[in-house]
Amino acid sequence: MMNNTSNSNGMISPSSTSTNTQSQQGLKTYFKTPEGRYKLQYEKTHPVGFLHYAQGKTVTQVSIAHLKEKSAQAPTSSSSSSLSASSGVRLAAARLLGGGNGSRALSFVGGNGTSKTVVGSSKIGSLGGLSSSNSLVNSNYDGKGTYLIFNVGDTVFISDLNSHDKDPIKSLHFSNSNPVCHAFDPEAKDGHDLLIGLYSGDVYSVSLRQQLQDFGKKLVGAQHYNKDGSVNNSRCTSIAWVPEGDGTFVVAHADGNLYVYEKNKDGTGDSSFPIIKDQTQFSVSHTRSSKSNPIARWHICQGSINSIAFSTDGTYLATVGRDGYLRVFDYSKEQLICGGKSYYGAVLCCAWSMDGKYILAGGEDDLVQVWSMDDRKVVAWGEGHGSWVSGVAFDSFWSSPTSDDTGENVMYRFGSVGQDTQLLLWDLVMDELVVPLRRPPGGSPTFSTGSQSSHWDSICPIGTLQPAPSMRDVPKLSPLVVHRVHSEPLSGLIITQESVLTVCREGHVKIWMRPGYGESQSSTSETSLSTNSKDKPPLSAKVGSSSYKH
Amino acid sequence: MGAAGSKLEKALGDQFPEGERYFGLENFGNTCYCNSVLQALYFCVPFREQLLDYYANNKTTGDVEENLLTCLADLFSQISSQKKKTGVIAPKRFVQRVKKQNELFRSYMHQDAHEFLNFLLNELVDILEKESNAAKISPEASSPSEKVANGPRTAQSNGVQKEPLVTWVHKNFQGILTNETRCLRCETVTARDETFLDLSLDIEQNSSITSCLKNFSSTETLNAEDKFFCDKCCSLQEAQKRMKIKKPPHILVIHLKRFKYIEQLGRYKKLSYRVVFPLELKLSNTVEDADSEYSLFAVVVHVGSGPNHGHYVSLVKSHNHWLFFDDENVEMIDESAVQTFFGSSQEYSSNTDHGYILFYESLATSSKS
Repeated sequence: MMNNTSNSNGMISPSSTSTNTQSQQGLKTYFKTPEGRYKLQYEKTHPVGFLHYAQGKTVTQVSIAHLKEKSAQAPTSSSSSSLSASSGVRLAAARLLGGGNGSRALSFVGGNGTSKTVVGSSKIGSLGGLSSSNSLVNSNYDGKGTYLIFNVGDTVFISDLNSHDKDPIKSLHFSNSNPVCHAFDPEAKDGHDLLIGLYSGDVYSVSLRQQLQDFGKKLVGAQHYNKDGSVNNSRCTSIAWVPEGDGTFVVAHADGNLYVYEKNKDGTGDSSFPIIKDQTQFSVSHTRSSKSNPIARWHICQGSINSIAFSTDGTYLATVGRDGYLRVFDYSKEQLICGGKSYYGAVLCCAWSMDGKYILAGGEDDLVQVWSMDDRKVVAWGEGHGSWVSGVAFDSFWSSPTSDDTGENVMYRFGSVGQDTQLLLWDLVMDELVVPLRRPPGGSPTFSTGSQSSHWDSICPIGTLQPAPSMRDVPKLSPLVVHRVHSEPLSGLIITQESVLTVCREGHVKIWMRPGYGESQSSTSETSLSTNSKDKPPLSAKVGSSSYKH
Repeated sequence: MGAAGSKLEKALGDQFPEGERYFGLENFGNTCYCNSVLQALYFCVPFREQLLDYYANNKTTGDVEENLLTCLADLFSQISSQKKKTGVIAPKRFVQRVKKQNELFRSYMHQDAHEFLNFLLNELVDILEKESNAAKISPEASSPSEKVANGPRTAQSNGVQKEPLVTWVHKNFQGILTNETRCLRCETVTARDETFLDLSLDIEQNSSITSCLKNFSSTETLNAEDKFFCDKCCSLQEAQKRMKIKKPPHILVIHLKRFKYIEQLGRYKKLSYRVVFPLELKLSNTVEDADSEYSLFAVVVHVGSGPNHGHYVSLVKSHNHWLFFDDENVEMIDESAVQTFFGSSQEYSSNTDHGYILFYESLATSSKS
């Protein structure tokens, strides 16, 4: 395997193709929905033969990053002088080459071919060899584009979303510990827009563009937080930028703590926090020194926080964890608003609806919970996964076909992925939710529709957590679509305007184009994508960033 | 050995649970199947306590004839009364007794841990039932002279109501399944109850215990060659059949059918499927919507790629710490390490350590039993 890789430096594509077809027998390249077919457009993965020894320890997560057209000013004050000096040349080169994502892929392949003879070192994959032998290729990374960021083993890979190239365009190697989570902020005001959290608890913030411009395999211009786990040495589990937070971000850890950081701030002050007296109680403590970073610690629960998500406007923060609870906090007030327990087992993922009214959560009970912020309780359980639910996301771009008729019939489309290797799509129509009546044991269930409120208990007071509901008390949803998308258990799901992205634990990403998208050539879809992201940047960007990422 | 013991003690520090003992078990040549099950049972606290009670009560009655029950009680009491907190014990007398009792386990071949657990629990039940019957006929049965021959035969002839005895082994492990068959012609539902000490589940690749349990209780249609004889219709009819759990046990033992007979191969094959098991579980396939929660406290793990060789180890939760028992060795592990024993999603994987028998304890108070 090793030998094979180092020899085939210039011939990555044929071998990776054969590996893939072998491992994905019986997997269809499309799935049908009422609105049409979703087609498998691209696949992204780590370079073939990339050996991730510590793979069992880390699970691949994926983030989407939209890089906008570079502004006139120098992008990052921290980038080296040689880089900023040559940026004009690179922009010109990019224009010459077409500037689009499609041509980038072309030039990439070309560069790879010519560099073949030059490459003598046994770098993993094609990337190292490429960048060291042909510096011009990097000039393409200046323009706008959409990138996929995903971690596998000890490496973070960056792929061009809109190229047919399966291999990543960039790899960032971490020697001290494995990267486990990441988040991108499309609204970042200065350079640093990408956060990376490690297994060791360490956290980095970097500029994505600067990484793409650099030739090496190490992070450049990075800010290092919680160095060597000095503040908290338990594993990072989830990381998110605070929406409209002016560079504030939060990091969740496996010991039930969450820390608030301010980017670009050196943690020179005392960052020690008081001992947590009651592990089971929520508590927030702030650092006394204004110079310290992190600035606050939230102790949320006993055991791991598995995932966090901000509501779109940043008002609320949802967390899910090992203790089986979904918790919703008012972020600025640092107050627990509501929450509840899963049917059983840990909760692994969560996501908000665009309007902030519903939260999806999935976990070890194989169920997809729909949590209502109005009712402060679970309003539906999605039954259909044959194993743990590892990723959930609302489809914010879905418009209900019936929405014009009544106006009241609110409908949501959402998706979920599980360790059963399946992607499920669901429709949530509030009026159609049926609440099973209490029934004598063993009897056949009877259902009532409509006036569900009479069967529901009154809303619980603010700040209280609901116990696990009984199986018979929660309405059930059935999936609209069940599709086996990978041969490995899945770990994440992102739904964008153009596509549905699925990722498996081992680091393979599949991009399923919506009906009507991606039927033409990739250059066309790329154009439509960039137009869309220009039109409503916060919308599409947010979907790709922390809040919709598992 | 001593060093290893102190390492565990060091790891636990002042968190070492009061009165608890963590002892490895010596391997007498392929007896890991036995050791792994013994550790799981030892850390099944209600079972251990009742066994130790039994031992304490029976010690006073003098020289009882040696059987599997007394050997097991002896062993557990030996472990629990150790002065040291950690170390290694040789379950010699117990293993000898097992081999004496059952020729299956006599050889040095690789044995099936589930078969052994099954044999052991049934044997314990038999012994307890015999003792109870003996006690019923003669209150003074404890005197050695009378004890020998007054078999249970006299008990039956005495006309004593022969009700199925519920021993403390039953109270811990026994549940009741009900097999409901609905005749598709007359709609009559015939329900037949059967007791179980563990559930054996068919497994699928990339599935969960929850979904395996669901499949276990899924409705099956009996037709064609496999019709059902309906008593009401007095003929063979198409019918629908399903298994439900009528009474969930206090200790739920789930056996994953990882060893499957493959007809084309003419032999057994190990299924290395990835089957995830949560640390908490609820049974939804019950007759009543019980919603009672279970907590995982032990896993017997089969290590190896084939059915006829390999190794058994066990993971045990004791006082909120997870421990790894591999014959003589005992180590502390992190809770998150449990998931490395789920299995593999690829057929040929270097990871061959797979959860095989799962032990869940009901969190509801044992008043239900």
